[in-house]
Amino acid sequence: MIAVRELTKLFGAQKAVDNLSFEIPAGQIVGFLGPNGAGKSTTLKMLTGMIEPTSGAATVCGLDLLKDTLEIKKRIGFVPESGAVFESLTGLEYLEMVAALYGIPEGAARERIKQFIAFFDLSFETLTEKLLGAYSKGMRRKVVITSALLHNPPVVFFDEPLDGLDANAAVGFKTLIQTLAREGKTIVYSSHILDVVERVCDRVIIIDKGKLLLDGKPEQLVAEHNSGTLEHLFTQLTGGEELQRRAEDFAKTFRA
Amino acid sequence: MSAATAPVQSKALRRLFLTIFLRGRGARGLQKQSAPKSIGRKLALTLAFYALFGIFATMFITQGLYAVSIYLHASTMMFIGMFVASSAGEALFNKEEADILLHRPVTPQALLWAKVRVMVEISIWLAAAFNLVGFGIGTYLSPSRGMFVAAHAVSVVMDALFCTGLVVVTYQLCLRWFGREKLDGVITTAQTLMAIGIVLGSQLAPQVMMRHPERITSTFHSWWILCLPPAWFAGFDDAIAGSHSVSSLALGALAVASTAALLWVGFGTLARDYGTGLQAINETGPARSGGRPRRQFFKRLTTLIPFRWWIRHPVERASFLLCTSYLMRDRDVKLRVYPGITPMMMMPIIMLLPRNGTELSRGFMVAFAGAYLGMIPLLAVGLLKYSQNWQAADVFRAVPMTGPGPLYDGLRKAVLLVLTLPMLVILALIAWAMGANRADLLMLIPGVITIPVFALMACWMTNPVPFGSPAESARSAGRGWKIMSGLLISMPIAALSAGAKMFGYFWPFIGLEIVACAIACQLIQYRCRAVKWKPIDEDAD
Repeated sequence: MIAVRELTKLFGAQKAVDNLSFEIPAGQIVGFLGPNGAGKSTTLKMLTGMIEPTSGAATVCGLDLLKDTLEIKKRIGFVPESGAVFESLTGLEYLEMVAALYGIPEGAARERIKQFIAFFDLSFETLTEKLLGAYSKGMRRKVVITSALLHNPPVVFFDEPLDGLDANAAVGFKTLIQTLAREGKTIVYSSHILDVVERVCDRVIIIDKGKLLLDGKPEQLVAEHNSGTLEHLFTQLTGGEELQRRAEDFAKTFRA
Repeated sequence: MSAATAPVQSKALRRLFLTIFLRGRGARGLQKQSAPKSIGRKLALTLAFYALFGIFATMFITQGLYAVSIYLHASTMMFIGMFVASSAGEALFNKEEADILLHRPVTPQALLWAKVRVMVEISIWLAAAFNLVGFGIGTYLSPSRGMFVAAHAVSVVMDALFCTGLVVVTYQLCLRWFGREKLDGVITTAQTLMAIGIVLGSQLAPQVMMRHPERITSTFHSWWILCLPPAWFAGFDDAIAGSHSVSSLALGALAVASTAALLWVGFGTLARDYGTGLQAINETGPARSGGRPRRQFFKRLTTLIPFRWWIRHPVERASFLLCTSYLMRDRDVKLRVYPGITPMMMMPIIMLLPRNGTELSRGFMVAFAGAYLGMIPLLAVGLLKYSQNWQAADVFRAVPMTGPGPLYDGLRKAVLLVLTLPMLVILALIAWAMGANRADLLMLIPGVITIPVFALMACWMTNPVPFGSPAESARSAGRGWKIMSGLLISMPIAALSAGAKMFGYFWPFIGLEIVACAIACQLIQYRCRAVKWKPIDEDAD
């Protein structure tokens, strides 16, 4: 469903993504991991057609990323890390606008929006009366997730989707993406919450400084590296253990 | 995009951008707990305001159809130009919008069209409101009466298309010539200069018209008129509903051709680059170092005597550096502040123009020019409280400060040092270049002495937590009443200075003024420092 070959992105002289290659078949949930500045968001932005790669190639749903960008955009959903929305629109105005961009007829859009409202436990009144600027972070995130799934895309990219969601909503969301994957949707899930990734994802791809470090099933990778948990494996690979020591030293500076 | 989806998408985008234009992008300042039922009321108020301004056209009623038409087009272009230039930056290249829309199946051209269409629509509403009175005056002056309404309606629509096209072409050319890396900085500079140019032109044109009415003709003798775009559009009106002269026809043809050319270049040839520009804004590459040296300059400046003493409070210094950074780097702030204060510079220059009159009246005009400079801090202090990053200003409330007083002081000093002082030097140089003698230049002193009072007054009146209010609120920043109160103070000061000079008491008057201003400064500063934090919702503006 997604094939990435030697994808590279340069910002000036700095390589944000460096010769990244991987393939993701349909119906898989893939955890896309890396420390801050590893190039995760840049990769997702390239795969969603938001920015152009400097070199390399990729296909999404069998379509070429550079030649068929618009067709790819019709087939994907994306929840960006920023969770940006037009704050001066109400939730309903926003979702109806997004539905129109995908050519979903008004009646059908309303029906789907109602289904999502029921799932996320949002009140229709809130959605119609309040501006998005008045929503809590969690509510806003729910609207953004709804806007990414409204057109029923076969591929969905999530960049930190649980940010701001309460525990119940997060549990519901995890169940939702597992169900979506069972129905054949491909999910790329970028997050720093590693225990969730470990439980939800079929496979993880770990990158650092734009380069691929590891790619495989979480339990298999943990076993191969004798790490115990995915979190431990992640810190081993990305220099987190050094960070732990630095944190201890730093904390000492606060002693009276 | 399928043929069936395209109209739906285009309609949705138009509605989206129209709503954003009228409501603003942020929600603070709106009654966000309930969606605005109608955006019509706000629009109606704006249109009424523009219509009121249109009454000034009656001043040119004795100058003939062509002159009235030039005035109408010059002012229309200023209003529309200012509106488009200040909205286009945020509308065309908005970073947050990229996260919302760039992964959707929308072509960059469709986005550009939707935005431009909304800008043109609003421009036409504003232009129509401003020209309401002008339509009446033109009809009265035109030999062919009704034809003027038709001709002027067409030329006003062309004004809107011309201004929007010009701004879009400027953006696209910046993108093409300077590339992605420098896009943001170059566009900011281009936009700021364009806005300043529009303001300067609109201030100067009526002055020239009123001083030299005999030179405002559409004949080939006034060849220089070819350099003024408003004259082309006035030529269109004159060709259809006025003199029907060959020169008017030529000017009218120039108006049509230039508008068509701009539209073709802006929305045809260069529109392809728009997608590239959107991507450039969306890329989060390594930070550019463009603004750093200037910030370093101001940082170093605060370590030097006398600035180290003048900006000695650490919070005040932090606020000063924050304000100078935004004044040098932030597109939104630059576009609001520099074009906002430019007219305050023009008025003193106009007052310094050589004129006949008594010693008292000449002295009054020079003193008034100096005192008028106080408008710069009076307006700029208020403008620096607005930013697109207004939520970040909540950090000031999190630190252990009982009130925002030291923040006001830092902001005020940044305005005085970075904006007012250079303007003062420029004014003195212009006055000197215009042949002002020492005695004339001395008359600037009484006004200069009042500048710190104006700056403090602005803090007192506007409670300017630096960049703590949403940018959208700046549209209703109460500039009118600030200018009125500024005039109410500067006029008596100018009159007293001129009187004191005439009667030989100039220096005692200066001494007295210094004492009075020092006392006023102390009192207002005491008042400002005693201000406590307001609840966050009240402080939203």
